[in-house]
Amino acid sequence: YHMVNPSPWPLTGALSALLITSGLMMWFHSNSIFLLVLGLITNILTMFQWWRDIIREGTFQGHHTPIVQKGLRYGMVLFIVSEVLFFTGFFWAFYHSSLVPTTELGGYWPPAGIKPLNPLEVPLLNTAVLLASGVSVTWAHHSILEKDRINAIQALIVTISLGLYFTLLQIMEYYESPFTIADSVYGSTFFMATGFH
Amino acid sequence: MWSRERPSRPCFSTPPFDPRFPNQNQTRNCYQNFLDYHRCVKNMDRRGRNPEACEYYQRVFRALCPKSWVQRWTDQLEEGTFAGKI
Repeated sequence: YHMVNPSPWPLTGALSALLITSGLMMWFHSNSIFLLVLGLITNILTMFQWWRDIIREGTFQGHHTPIVQKGLRYGMVLFIVSEVLFFTGFFWAFYHSSLVPTTELGGYWPPAGIKPLNPLEVPLLNTAVLLASGVSVTWAHHSILEKDRINAIQALIVTISLGLYFTLLQIMEYYESPFTIADSVYGSTFFMATGFH
Repeated sequence: MWSRERPSRPCFSTPPFDPRFPNQNQTRNCYQNFLDYHRCVKNMDRRGRNPEACEYYQRVFRALCPKSWVQRWTDQLEEGTFAGKI
């Protein structure tokens, strides 16, 4: 097994998470982005340095034996399972609220006063973009398996560009949206589910 | 045997069983009759007819609904902030 050398990055990562969350609160309530920017910078630095160290340990130092790889795979699986449960919560909240809308909403869904986005417009484009990025990341995966570095890099560039495109589209959708997170349980469920997505 | 005459009493009745709302939670029953009463009154007024026919709905929701809800919804209707479609 791999006994990792003492590393500061879990601590800096945790501190960056604290700075980001408190920075968000300061931004929302006190009109200051200082803590948030500090948190984002320390977060990016942590990610860069931690993953750089992992790459060094696994490649140059040869620590990623088959057993260690198995452990890393388990870790990824557990993370994915936790993500599934995480989104299950948001979907539960949405269906609970939308299938039996309360009288405060007018007894119908979408609630009184809400103009929902047409799912067949930008959201459909976003779906296509994400599916395409799934294709390109599979291309990257197979390139890596076949030790084809050039194709792997190309495929990852395509994947990341598609992800960026998706993000820009979402930013535009959020900016132009006629409702906010504060607009009844509709806004809450909408922005919690799409935001974390 | 007993030839005592029954004194006539006012008729107390209660809303009949509504198969649309068979379960214990009768919130929707209350709300639906509230909506139906106001929709009935609105349509009768629109057609220039007597809203007396709507009295049934009013008796039902007055029997079923907590007074605070009726008060709150009536206030919302007056303010124009009632969420339901009338």
